[in-house]
Amino acid sequence: MDLQYDSAHKILRETAERFLSEKYDFRTFRKTVDSDAGYSPDVWATFAEMGWLAMPFSEEDGGLGGGAVEVAILMECFGKNLVVEPYLASVVLGGGLIATLGTPAQKAELLGPLVEGKTKLAFAHDNRAPTKATLRGNDYVIAGAKAAVLSAPMADTLLVSATLTNGTTGVFVVPVTSSGLVLRPYRSVDGNRLADIELTDVFVPGPALLGGNGDATQAIAAVIDRAIAAMSSDAVGAMSAMVTQTIEYTKMRVQFGQPLSKFQLLAHRMVDMRVAEEEARASCLLATLSLDGPADRRTRAVSGAKAKIGRNSRFVAQQAIQTHGAIGTTEELPLGAFAKRCLAYEIMFGSTREHLRRYSAVIADPALASAGLLLEPASA
Amino acid sequence: MDLSLTQDDIKFRDEVRAFLKDAVPPDMKRSQALTTGFSSEPEVAAGFHKSLVKKGWSVPSWPRQYGGTEWTPVQSYIFDTECARAGAPIYNGAGQRMVGPVLLKYGTDAQKQKYLPGIVSGDDHWAQGYSEPGSGSDLASLKTRAISDGDDYIVNGQKIWTTFGHKSNRLFALVRTSTEGKRQEGISFILLEMNTPGITVRPIVGNGGDHEFNEVFFDNVRVPKSGRIGEENKGWEVAKYLLEFERGGALQAGRVRAQFTKLVKLVQARCPDDQAVISKLAELGTDLDAMEMIDISTLSALQSGANPGPVSSLLKLRWSQLRQDISELAVDAIGADALKFIPERPLFESLQLPPDEEEMLTQTPRYLNFRAYTILGGTSEIQTGILAKAMLGL
Ligand SMILES: Cc1cc2nc3c(=O)[nH]c(=O)nc-3n(C[C@H](O)[C@H](O)[C@H](O)COP(=O)(O)OP(=O)(O)OC[C@H]3O[C@@H](n4cnc5c(N)ncnc54)[C@H](O)[C@@H]3O)c2cc1C
Repeated sequence: MDLQYDSAHKILRETAERFLSEKYDFRTFRKTVDSDAGYSPDVWATFAEMGWLAMPFSEEDGGLGGGAVEVAILMECFGKNLVVEPYLASVVLGGGLIATLGTPAQKAELLGPLVEGKTKLAFAHDNRAPTKATLRGNDYVIAGAKAAVLSAPMADTLLVSATLTNGTTGVFVVPVTSSGLVLRPYRSVDGNRLADIELTDVFVPGPALLGGNGDATQAIAAVIDRAIAAMSSDAVGAMSAMVTQTIEYTKMRVQFGQPLSKFQLLAHRMVDMRVAEEEARASCLLATLSLDGPADRRTRAVSGAKAKIGRNSRFVAQQAIQTHGAIGTTEELPLGAFAKRCLAYEIMFGSTREHLRRYSAVIADPALASAGLLLEPASA
Repeated sequence: MDLSLTQDDIKFRDEVRAFLKDAVPPDMKRSQALTTGFSSEPEVAAGFHKSLVKKGWSVPSWPRQYGGTEWTPVQSYIFDTECARAGAPIYNGAGQRMVGPVLLKYGTDAQKQKYLPGIVSGDDHWAQGYSEPGSGSDLASLKTRAISDGDDYIVNGQKIWTTFGHKSNRLFALVRTSTEGKRQEGISFILLEMNTPGITVRPIVGNGGDHEFNEVFFDNVRVPKSGRIGEENKGWEVAKYLLEFERGGALQAGRVRAQFTKLVKLVQARCPDDQAVISKLAELGTDLDAMEMIDISTLSALQSGANPGPVSSLLKLRWSQLRQDISELAVDAIGADALKFIPERPLFESLQLPPDEEEMLTQTPRYLNFRAYTILGGTSEIQTGILAKAMLGL
């Protein structure tokens, strides 16, 4: 058991924090959110230069061989600085699916341009209507509809999940320019971009199916859990920013002849907020370190984190707003954007309540409920 | 970074499990399961203590030369967790975890020789005399007076909330030896024999029906100065050092998880379709995971020599809350059974029912008694105040 960040982790965190605090302030965020593209190509290119887009992929796949911890560090910094570039969709989900499912040829073809920042991916998974893929000659024909696909409006390539004729699930590489593909883009409450997608007889060649004919269901679930862990780090970053900004604000704001921070009620409330943040950070680390563990432990950790962080982030956001008074209810301060980011976190990839149910189902097994968090060496 | 135990850890865990199998026989386990107070009955704990002594594990957190084991933080965690899983009694808290560390740090050689062996063997039972009727959170306002008389002090005054004062042969206490200067600078830390003439103990029964704490009155009690720890008027520093151990120190995750696991089973047996209870249960599970993770992170920091910071107050806040929440949901889960109240204590003597019926009768007293967790050892408000300073810089 070792839960100490090593020096490479610390350097990564410092580098990311320095870059973002210099180059990605609240104005940059607003400008980016209001731009047509919804992200900054320059910032994305810098992410590539920094090696961040290559972070989680193995060296043989052209990556840096980092793991979930490195991704978590970056995501926490992204959350703290309101980054809206499509890291989660493109690198964690898209790249993650290719790295997990893809054949060597597919990995070589798709991961290279991704880590260089030349292409961006999005994962079209949640169905609006059943999505099916049928083999016609050497091609697949995909038809169906997808909902709320994160970062699809800025993606070059979609990874589309579809039911195959034999009833299993496959993931297809589909260029956004494919005929028969219609994107309806919209903004998410937190400034990200989403799209609903319709697929009307979209033709893709046979090799567009990631990894051949094995069922992708398990792999998809694993990659989504990975994304939830990553997104949880982002939420922890946002929570931490809200707590810090609330403390700073109450030190500065004077009422009744003294800074608000001198009132015990507010000081104690801010301790509760910080404690909620620390709990969230702990849950998040548990999820991050459980991704490669046994499946039931992974579910307990990931759904537990989503449910716990959802609840705690809501608490922190609401208390932060209340403690700021009227200004907290506006768009003027970063606080408003952080609160919206946490709201989006709660909804995406399964709501707080859905994950609480999933957690509930796993711990119904007393063996799991009673198991501590440390793992047997064999299963770790 | 990883969450995995090493092969050595597993070997150690198996050794602890094997030990507990013999050291916690079924009747002891039942007695502990039917204990509704926040500590174990000393009579129940005594049997367990004996086995620990035989194994050399009765004061694991101490240095080896005084009978300790010098386990790694992970080993201590494994030991505490396994004890909780096995339903072992909680033993010797005030001796091992409070006055022991104080003696080790501030005691003279003569004091160590006199007092430590009785803690190791379990022959001595210690009680803590800090609180007074007028001095709770504001402990430094304490008034129990010790006046110098040659080689002795003459002590007059009163302590209150003295846990197991009625079952202890020794007491460590804070007394006022000076009324000049700052309040903190007139306090001394002294050790007393409970059978000294002039000491009277009066019981206070908790709302859950258990007699755990007491009032202790001092009427011209003669205490040799050789029983003073540290210098005269320097007892405040000693007292604060002890509080560090009382608050965080003891790993709680294992105990809370054992309590939680029982609740999971209780809910499944009693109200498996009550969605409100099920959903609250799951929330508590996620709270517990977060708390245990903070606990383990602290271990990891200690293990690598880093300073874990003001986390003991944070952990105290969270575990005390969780133990209350779990006991509260247990009462919600059993419906009208929560009304039945058996006033006789201990329950393991007064009851003779099927195990699940017996367990039912512990829920309400436990819920009532567990209200104490957010008060004892520094209230939640006091811990929050500490964190406001230490963690937020306010
Ligand atoms: C089960 C149990 C066992 C105990 N065992 C022992 C023992 O063995 N030996 C011993 O010496 N003592 C013992 N105690 C006493 C314990 O240490 C005190 O109860 C505790 O320090 C609080 O003091 P009090 O009860 O007088 O409450 P008070 O200090 O009167 O507090 C009352 C309320 O006011 C709040 N409050 C106080 N000051 C502040 C402030 N500055 N800001 C905000 N809120 C404040 C408190 O948090 C609490 O909610 C025990 C207590 C319990 C419940």
